[in-house]
Amino acid sequence: MTSHTDSSAKLLDAVTEGAEKGVIPASIFGDPDLYRQELRNVFGRCWVFLAHESEIPAKGDYVLRKIGEDNFIVVRDDEGEINVLFDACRHRGVQVCRSDSGNTSHFRCPYHGWTYNTKGNLVGAPLWRNAFGGMSKENNGLASAAKVASYQGLVFGTLDQSAPPLKEYLGGMAWYLDLVFGLNEHGVEVLGPPQRFVIDANWKSGAENFSGDDYHLGTLHRSVWEIGAFPVPFHENMMGYHIQASPGHSLSFSMAQDANEPGPNYFGFPDELAQSFNTTNISADQLEVARRSRVFVGNVFPNFSMLALPMTEDGSNHPPVGILTLRTWQPHGPGQVEVWNWFAGYKNLTPEQKDRAYRAGLGTFSMGGAFEVDDTEPWITVSRNGASTAAELLDFQLNYEMGKPGVGISKPVKEWPGPGRVQWTRYEEGVQRNMYGFYAEMMRSAPGQWPSLVFPEDAAADKEHRA
Amino acid sequence: MDSTLPRVAADTALYAEVLDWIHTEAELLDDLREREWLETMVSRDVTYAVPLRQTVERARGRGFSPDTFHLLETYGSLDSRVTRNETPYAWAEDPPSRIRHFVTNVRVRQSGDPDIVAVKSNLLLHRTRQDQSLPQLLSAERHDELRREDGRLMLLRRDVLLDLTVIRTHNLAIFF
Repeated sequence: MTSHTDSSAKLLDAVTEGAEKGVIPASIFGDPDLYRQELRNVFGRCWVFLAHESEIPAKGDYVLRKIGEDNFIVVRDDEGEINVLFDACRHRGVQVCRSDSGNTSHFRCPYHGWTYNTKGNLVGAPLWRNAFGGMSKENNGLASAAKVASYQGLVFGTLDQSAPPLKEYLGGMAWYLDLVFGLNEHGVEVLGPPQRFVIDANWKSGAENFSGDDYHLGTLHRSVWEIGAFPVPFHENMMGYHIQASPGHSLSFSMAQDANEPGPNYFGFPDELAQSFNTTNISADQLEVARRSRVFVGNVFPNFSMLALPMTEDGSNHPPVGILTLRTWQPHGPGQVEVWNWFAGYKNLTPEQKDRAYRAGLGTFSMGGAFEVDDTEPWITVSRNGASTAAELLDFQLNYEMGKPGVGISKPVKEWPGPGRVQWTRYEEGVQRNMYGFYAEMMRSAPGQWPSLVFPEDAAADKEHRA
Repeated sequence: MDSTLPRVAADTALYAEVLDWIHTEAELLDDLREREWLETMVSRDVTYAVPLRQTVERARGRGFSPDTFHLLETYGSLDSRVTRNETPYAWAEDPPSRIRHFVTNVRVRQSGDPDIVAVKSNLLLHRTRQDQSLPQLLSAERHDELRREDGRLMLLRRDVLLDLTVIRTHNLAIFF
């Protein structure tokens, strides 16, 4: 037992040290003790994405979702509030939600009939007076997530009462979520329920990839250029910014150096839609960054990823159009991940435009999509090698050095309107180093303690600003 | 498929032709002769769909989504898939997984259009990759429409109704 704990602690030390230097031990992708610690210290504490508000628009609408490996009912109650309820009856711990989604006024346990309303309050059980007369219904409701909050229509929950408010947790990332989801007053909605698929890979492979791994496109996804699915050539697509928005959260923009290059702009969203974009909810700087962006990809630590870019599933008949996909990498053991994949679009797209964006997204970024079918291929072996005895005995370290000072052409950017640590050109893996640095701190933090959610230089600047 | 449509009996020439078509298709797909399958067996007007499925109460039906899919293909996008698999960079299926289509319970009905037959079949797709010894199994009901074009039956519509809500296979770079 002690030796296991020691090995996890040693791995975490190596991650902290390596996140600076750009070396990460391969075993973090397969170590079972580390995984159990992740469920508790990462998924049991961080704000995790659960649903989009548009999935449960009406009172009584619910979806069944996961925090870590555990099921939670995300339900809109009679007052329109969203509750996140642990799917376990207070009486014997039985699952009370029997469908993946639906609309209901109550959840009734199939075992003895304890019945709860959409706030999770116990409202009754069969022959109540005989069985439980005199017992309080209060404190016998379903357990709730410690905190629930939404940002830009994205619903998050945390099991940790000591978690900072969602906005504070998102930190610099909020600025970038704004310019993807808040480009007009209509906002975004999901285009149907999520796809779910299980692959033999570690959840961190997906999260680090969406933190800004653009370099893999040239090799792994080379086929998509051959079929004309994506309009920006590989080399050109490597131009842009890598941004560590705040500790843990990273993102990447494909952007030309010339602000007036012909496009695609706004992630390839249709021109008619782009005409509705404005500064009602965002700043002129945010709008301009969105305008210049050909691709946005990002990850909210730990496991919520987003991607917006121009795509087509059928290059000979349809030009690429901006798609938006949201996904979570649900942990399912050290060597397994359940991928949840939603497509989304601006509410004021026409039905035809929504259909086009949906088809383009499905045909490229889904488990049968031209882009994504290849992604699972490397991740499977990352996790297999991560679980290997060889990786442990050889102290096998993986290289995350791209874009460090003196490595490649990527350079820090001083002039940038948004928050975070910014690099020009996407030949850079600081975005991953940021994820792993925060990961190690989160894993090590004692209950009630939180690692810093701002970079030291931002904290200093903030202090100066206030003084 | 509308179950009120007249059933085509198993001892008819049409049934034999449909069964032969199904066997030929399975052979081409198992042998990775995808281009040949597309060009000789699939209509230019094809709709090819694998709808998303959710777990729902019995009263709400089988849980298939009317407008959300795992695959939603036209001839153009199927052609795109076949072309992708022909490039040397289609890592997902190179080396290819080993796939076997087992098709049973073939039920043929006439449709309102004399050129179109409606076919239901059960599909068991057996798949292994690399040194995997345990197969991935995908079970589904296929609802097809075959249309006679220049004398040959061609796939006009396919709905693949999977017996799964969460799909446990490394990709869907395959044809059902």
